[in-house]
Amino acid sequence: MRQLIRIALALVFVPAAAFADDMDGMSMHGGDAGASTFGAGVSVIAASFSPSQPDGMFYGGSYQGVMPSASWMMDRYSASASWSYYRMDRNGITAYGVGDLFTSAGVTLLRGSSYGAGVMMGAAFPTGAIEAGIGMGKPMVMPMMFASWHVGKIELNGTAGYSRMLGEPDDTMVHVMSLVEPMNMEEISWTAGGDYAITPSVRAGAKLAGGVPVGSEPGAVRVFGAGRVAWKRRGVDTGAELQAGLVGDPFDIRAVVTTGLTF
Amino acid sequence: MRIFILAVLVGACGTDAVPTLTQTTCPDPNNPQFTYASFMHDFNCHYCDNCHDSSLTLNERNGAPLFHNLDSLFGTMTVWQHTDEQAGFGPKAHNTFMPGGGTSQRCPSTLGGKLDEDCPEPTDQERENLSVFLACEVARPQDYNGSNEAPSHDTDHCVSYTGPH
Repeated sequence: MRQLIRIALALVFVPAAAFADDMDGMSMHGGDAGASTFGAGVSVIAASFSPSQPDGMFYGGSYQGVMPSASWMMDRYSASASWSYYRMDRNGITAYGVGDLFTSAGVTLLRGSSYGAGVMMGAAFPTGAIEAGIGMGKPMVMPMMFASWHVGKIELNGTAGYSRMLGEPDDTMVHVMSLVEPMNMEEISWTAGGDYAITPSVRAGAKLAGGVPVGSEPGAVRVFGAGRVAWKRRGVDTGAELQAGLVGDPFDIRAVVTTGLTF
Repeated sequence: MRIFILAVLVGACGTDAVPTLTQTTCPDPNNPQFTYASFMHDFNCHYCDNCHDSSLTLNERNGAPLFHNLDSLFGTMTVWQHTDEQAGFGPKAHNTFMPGGGTSQRCPSTLGGKLDEDCPEPTDQERENLSVFLACEVARPQDYNGSNEAPSHDTDHCVSYTGPH
């Protein structure tokens, strides 16, 4: 249960980064009915990106970020929030600033001995500077479904959701959308991944994630792939993920290292 | 406490002035008051090209988007809406985001140079003229391919324009 919620929390926290989710061992049953569990973590992100006229990508450069996060879980319910601070080097100019604030709340609707599924509502608040490429410029809502299934040492998980910008987009947004969390103004977002438990406390996996624009606003199909490894030691979950942009040029390559503590 | 949190969140969602198309119309598309030769070339030279010149590499653009090159009529018209909503004055908006947007109003004094001076500021009249020029160019559809040559930058890139009109 806790495992399932964490997968979904991680994916909503950072829709595009999708940092090393799933770091809580293999059990689907946390035995946490009725008791609140709190989590705190931090992620470190580094990425590079290149211009591409066909994809409407007008910038080249790199960015680095630090992303603290907090979460709460009780039985089938969960909530989370994360913020970030970035250094952005874009077309020869460097800027520093906070990114958008991400929040989420979810509930698990189905759960069995080897599977689980639920729904989650994510929301992003435009605290990041759109001019620097570290914010969307408008609030976003991101309702989604999540599901997980495991057998033996293998676990498969995925999400599917709908993301939409609130309010009328500015025309300039076509040119300066968030580089750190590339997202269309209106899109279907998805992830699909799998993990293998190498030992009871170490696992490795891979995933694909992306977005498909819908609606009348301009957009671009986005896909990235990732390989990851995660381990747990003395209550501290740590994971490392290496991502590569495949379609739509969200970035060339991005590395995310996450560590978190549950109490 | 709840009201405070709500106020913070609402504040975070608030927006300042945003780039807006001026909705300027052209008085006479067949007899435009401003042309690339008589107005736009010099405007771009003085206020835009040090970051938006086609000869500049990524690292010389001070954050300006690649492919947004304003040193030719073709380049100017390729992104005319972006220019109008960033720097134009008209009935629907007075946009002053450029020059200096994203660079704290600092600009390079030389082509592709560092941000070493406060940005030269177009006058209100020049901003109005900019939007009128763009509106007139849009109102008289034409093939810009013949105007795609950027002026030479061998010496001073703001030398008098000698290319096609």
